[in-house]
Amino acid sequence: MTAKAFELKGKTALVTGDSKFWLKPIVTALAEAGADIAVAAGQTHKLEDAVEIAKSTGRKALAVPTDITSGAQVKKAVDRVIGEFGRIDILVNASDVNLFQPFCDIKDTEWDRVMDYNFNSAMHFCRAAGRQMVIQKKGRIINVISGLAERGHANGTAYCVSMGAVLQLTKALALEWALTGVTVNAIGTGWFTENGSAADEAIARYIPAKRYGKPYEIGSLVVYLASDVTDFTTGQFMYVDGGLMAHA
Amino acid sequence: MGTLDGKVIIITGGGTGLGRSMALCLAAEGADIVVAARRKEPLEETARGIRKLGRKALVVPTDVTDPTQCNALIEKTLAEMGKIDVLINNAGIVRGERRVPLWEITDESWHTGIDVNLSSVFYCSRAVSKYFADKKSGKIINVASGEGFRGQRDSYMYNTAKAGVVNLTRVMAMSLAEYNIRVNCIVPGFVDTFEYQPEEYQQAMAQLRATGGTRRLFIPIGHTGKPDDIGYLALFLCSDASDYVTATPFICDGGGLTGGFATTGYAPVVSLKEALA
Repeated sequence: MTAKAFELKGKTALVTGDSKFWLKPIVTALAEAGADIAVAAGQTHKLEDAVEIAKSTGRKALAVPTDITSGAQVKKAVDRVIGEFGRIDILVNASDVNLFQPFCDIKDTEWDRVMDYNFNSAMHFCRAAGRQMVIQKKGRIINVISGLAERGHANGTAYCVSMGAVLQLTKALALEWALTGVTVNAIGTGWFTENGSAADEAIARYIPAKRYGKPYEIGSLVVYLASDVTDFTTGQFMYVDGGLMAHA
Repeated sequence: MGTLDGKVIIITGGGTGLGRSMALCLAAEGADIVVAARRKEPLEETARGIRKLGRKALVVPTDVTDPTQCNALIEKTLAEMGKIDVLINNAGIVRGERRVPLWEITDESWHTGIDVNLSSVFYCSRAVSKYFADKKSGKIINVASGEGFRGQRDSYMYNTAKAGVVNLTRVMAMSLAEYNIRVNCIVPGFVDTFEYQPEEYQQAMAQLRATGGTRRLFIPIGHTGKPDDIGYLALFLCSDASDYVTATPFICDGGGLTGGFATTGYAPVVSLKEALA
């Protein structure tokens, strides 16, 4: 159940990214809070599943197959959403491509792919949708990234750099648009599991909450940040990680 | 029906300011509220507001710098309300002595400030922790301040105490996580709690406004926060929606800590060609 203050009735949310985890829970949470949904992602079953879920809640839902690494395609996707819904109130960027390799072994093409999916896609969507939000004098941008935007990780150079780039984009944009009514925030995720069991028990023990997160536990914070009561919250990085980031 | 129906929430410093605004915001969403602070009068007024919303309110006059009274607050709440779901450690002195050089600060001034702002969080959390641990659930929300993340000239007690609250949050979160207790902190920026303050404060604020406060120039969003901005954040943190969130500082400050580099609206434009010339 969504608290009245967090309801999103009459709002349009655009959710982007080909991530393994986030698309479905974020779309579910936003739709259940009352938002109409557009999903821009590669043409896969993840895109179709997400749109089906939104429809099943009785909300309007639009699938926009998009190569999210292409600036031109992103712009087209955003234009299509505006054409269909008239506005974009909420943008959630949730692309998440993993690459963990020794730094010297990473090929240029692999590095670029991680940057394209994790960072450039968010950058393109922020610009295309942000332009509309600034005109509307109101908007909510939420970048779902990893705690590794702040922390380092051995063999994680490409991933850490791409996530850190989105975090700095979040902060700088928040200030640039601070007087326009558009807020920009980021959510820092930790270790999550879809099937309830921890992929690595040693990691589960290391997490203060002693368990992996469930994807739907991201959705509730997305809804809070997307709601009308967060006017004063911008440029922030909020963790949903069972306490992981409090470790040394 | 609200998302906090049936929950019992203790708010220290619940008589005025953010404490009162959180109390009303959470009661509106269905929670029964226990307010604790030294002065009874403002507590009663908050309680009237809570009852007007149809919720139960309990007033427990408490000096949160006295561990015995903090223990009594928890016991009284359990006796009267039957349970506790959330403890919000909100009590604090906004400022100690201002513009006093280090060598002139008295022991008493230092200790009073640290006791109210930091030790009280420890006392109340300790008092409720065994109960939360035994029932394997509970939430603690500490109210820190942006000052806990930065320095400020001549503000020894306040900035130190609030930084302490931030890290006490992390330590409690990590230590109590295995009992399914979640500990987070709210980090407000400059929030105007004018309407929830006693008259003498209102007069002082009115004077400050008349002389033209410059504070908003340094809040990127261009205006101060509303009490509800913090109230709804507390609602999120009190509700089941935040069950996997712990040890996190939730900064609600209009972008203050993110910027802090230039005044609001300062946006240079330099082309790459110029920069490389």
